Amino acid sequence: MTNDALWYKDAIIYELPVKSFCDGNADGIGDFKGLHEKLDYLQALGVNCLWLLPFFPSPLKDDGYDIAAYTSVHPAYGTLDDFKAFLDAAHARGMRVVIELVLNHTSDQHPWFQRARSAPPGSPERDYYVWSDTDRRFEGVRIIFVDAERSNWTWDPVAQAYYWHRFFHHQPDLNYDNPAVVREMLAVLDFWLDMGVDGLRLDAVPYLVEREHTSCENLPETHALIKAIRRHVDAATPGRMLLAEANQLPADVRAYFGDGDECHMAYHFPVMPRIFMGLHAEDRQPIVDAMEQTPPIPENCQWALFLRNHDELTLEMVTDDERDYMYLAYSLDPQARLNLGIRRRLAPLVGNNRRRIELLNALLFSFPGTPIVYYGDEIGMGDNLYLGDRNGVRTPMQWTGDRNAGFSRADAARLYSPLITDPVYGYPAVNVEAEESDTASLLHWMRNMIRLRRQFKVFGRGTIEFLSPANRKVLAYVRRYRDDIILCVANLSRTVQPAELDLGAFDGMVPVEMLGYTEFPAIGSLPYFLTLGPYGFYWFELQRPGR
Amino acid sequence: MASTGSNSSVRAAEAEAAQVENAAPAEVVVGLTSHNDAATIGAVVHAVQAALETAGRADTARLVLADAGSSDGTREVVRGLVAPPRLIELEYARGATFREMPYHGAPGRATALRGILEAAHQLGARACAVVDANRQAADPACIDLLMTPVLRDGFDYVSPYYARHANEGAMTKGIVYPVFRALYGARLRQPAASEFGCSGRLLSHYLAEPFWEAEHAAAGIDLWLAVAAACGDFLTCEAALGAREVSPRGAPADLSTTLAQVAGALFADLDTRVDGWQRVRGSVEVPMVGTVPALETDGPSLNLDGLVESFRLGSRELRDIWTWVLPPRTIVELRKMSDAPPDRFVFDDRLWATIIYDFAFGYCHPVMPRDHLLRSLTPLYSGWLASFAREMRGAGLAQADERVEQLCLAFEAEKRYLISRWRWPERLR
Repeated sequence: MTNDALWYKDAIIYELPVKSFCDGNADGIGDFKGLHEKLDYLQALGVNCLWLLPFFPSPLKDDGYDIAAYTSVHPAYGTLDDFKAFLDAAHARGMRVVIELVLNHTSDQHPWFQRARSAPPGSPERDYYVWSDTDRRFEGVRIIFVDAERSNWTWDPVAQAYYWHRFFHHQPDLNYDNPAVVREMLAVLDFWLDMGVDGLRLDAVPYLVEREHTSCENLPETHALIKAIRRHVDAATPGRMLLAEANQLPADVRAYFGDGDECHMAYHFPVMPRIFMGLHAEDRQPIVDAMEQTPPIPENCQWALFLRNHDELTLEMVTDDERDYMYLAYSLDPQARLNLGIRRRLAPLVGNNRRRIELLNALLFSFPGTPIVYYGDEIGMGDNLYLGDRNGVRTPMQWTGDRNAGFSRADAARLYSPLITDPVYGYPAVNVEAEESDTASLLHWMRNMIRLRRQFKVFGRGTIEFLSPANRKVLAYVRRYRDDIILCVANLSRTVQPAELDLGAFDGMVPVEMLGYTEFPAIGSLPYFLTLGPYGFYWFELQRPGR
Repeated sequence: MASTGSNSSVRAAEAEAAQVENAAPAEVVVGLTSHNDAATIGAVVHAVQAALETAGRADTARLVLADAGSSDGTREVVRGLVAPPRLIELEYARGATFREMPYHGAPGRATALRGILEAAHQLGARACAVVDANRQAADPACIDLLMTPVLRDGFDYVSPYYARHANEGAMTKGIVYPVFRALYGARLRQPAASEFGCSGRLLSHYLAEPFWEAEHAAAGIDLWLAVAAACGDFLTCEAALGAREVSPRGAPADLSTTLAQVAGALFADLDTRVDGWQRVRGSVEVPMVGTVPALETDGPSLNLDGLVESFRLGSRELRDIWTWVLPPRTIVELRKMSDAPPDRFVFDDRLWATIIYDFAFGYCHPVMPRDHLLRSLTPLYSGWLASFAREMRGAGLAQADERVEQLCLAFEAEKRYLISRWRWPERLR
């Protein structure tokens, strides 16, 4: 692995839940032993950073985001030694590992909460959480899980008080006005970073601090806390990365970079739904708007980009009209809707259309930021809308067409989740083994794209300028970094499209198509004419003649 | 390459470190790598001393001897001619066991070179020249040519150019140089030579490179140093060092082993330097210092019929292996060549270039054990060599260079083919 402190700018991140990836001990639940066995697969895929969803002891009422102990491993997934062995093996293969740090809340089963509810009001133990005698404090603060919760306050009969929670009622929010809580969380952070973890995803970061008469989101006190965490990390373990999960408008997310002294990375939430919208509307404008409204960020910071992840395709950051459009376009089946979003994997969202999948990934890999690939999307896995919550996109990884999709040797009844078995996306049809043997498979295509993308730092580090061809079905942009100039052109339409590009600034240069290294005619003073097939895209290196 | 530590080797290493640390700064360091070279090293040391005396650098130079555990009195010969503090002996080989014997017969060469460069760095040397101890003829003027371009003309890397008959150094002419030049853009004609000169700036760069402990470093290190110089912001030149005659160290490696080690070292760098070589287009000439002498003797003769027969045998026996890395059109071409009468046996330059690139690609995207793949290149190389040698029969140095130039242009032209395969690999079977 490189010693470059900005390694996260050149990373390709692969997101996976340990429980879903591979079961190494035949108990029906994925674990670190199984994940360890599959590292060669991930290395061959070309990803160089793994983001693990929560694997800590937990009642698992929110898929592990309800943590009951921060510095150990859920017994179903293995032991700390198993984790360490996996971590070392990943590093040996040149892959970094990012884990979750759920700062905002714990499980109500966490010893801190159990102790707090019995402690006298005003005591330091009680003050680990946010309590109130009434449920009227912080009135007007929005409820995030609107389908599951009616209030941000829940009455605790033991404490004889209400406790504050921005998410599920079994996830009480920690009280960061209490210095003891800050010390506890810094110790947790040190525990994992000292072990060698390369980065931490700071979950639900906008909600850390509450103040009356505010939205209780993105408060200055929250930013001060993140700055303190960053100072602590830089001093103790430089080169590690903090990734903010802040599902907010770009201007608000921008604040989580600070002056390069808060988080190194943050998700770009708004662009993802607009990519899907642009694709369905066959119009580049939603995408261009989202990118052009993206504020500049400090040099040492980076956007994290994704098409799909373990949550629903969130539509919180779009207008009501846009949300209606998205529901009509992508979730005619109401079963696909959850909270303010659509709970589907990539392939089913785009009708299992291979060209659309490739186009979306081509955009993901060529937009400014670090791409995140969600496990299974590299082989076009499907989902199960009839599993509760977001469990339909967290089904076992499909390794083979054999029993239990090669995921586990346990009895099928013991699997933590049913497998995908439908005729289109089911594991007999969609699995790693089959796609390994098919050189035209999506898996091979993804490997090639990831490999190519990693070869060019311009994608992770370069600037972007959008071109404005008259045909709005064509999205064209130029990426630049040092001597590299890359022209990307994409057809968002299901039919062949022409494009006339104003490339006057590059007069005399020769576009070389990057995938096949094919030289195209030199750019002249007239508009550059291209024809793109349905959902086709080109990446061109612009080379100076005779260079 | 592995070494086993012992208390005595630790003590020796400490003594060596103290020897370097306590030495006065040096303007020039001449490194000698040796292994059972008692018969030749005395003359080489004399030549080095003469070169330094003539240049007025004897007082500001150090001789660093990196001996790979000779048992024939090599070190004693040197001690009889130079004494500390002008002589610094590296103990890198004491207590070491070297698993791999490279084709050039110098075990642990990477460790030896690293020791020399580290010593030169610590001594603050402006220039460092590495000279082989098994030279049969050591000319002071040639040794000076490895240093003066650095000290006087500001070059960072001096690559030797030995006058060779058309058939000599054919592996370099047919594979190493054309690939090196096409990939890295520098026309260093003998980039894997075991002698070189470098500046203090470049040796600092070398010491920060990750290749010292890489697999096959013993065989590949000389080439990798040239690659690192070509890929960085360094001024390079060639020095005409005359004809090179060396005493063989032990039994020579067989062709297949030599080819596997040389090609393996060449291909191993492709993956790590992919950001660089895919951006290089064309190549640039590098300046030459010194004069290339005329060759007085005839070159070695080759058994051309035997080489062609080796190619044909390979075509019959190894075709299945080749189909793992070579595309069908190449296999068909090779079959046609195999059927051709001996007097019409010609290996097309572009075909040869694409074959080498296909093997390079197959090496970096392994479809079979790499050693098997590389050894299967031997009959193809025999075929190319037969074709080249027949064409070069009776040719002089200039004609041979001209022919190699043509071949290099074919490698440059076909580089797109390699990049294309690399960018979008499709398995053939």
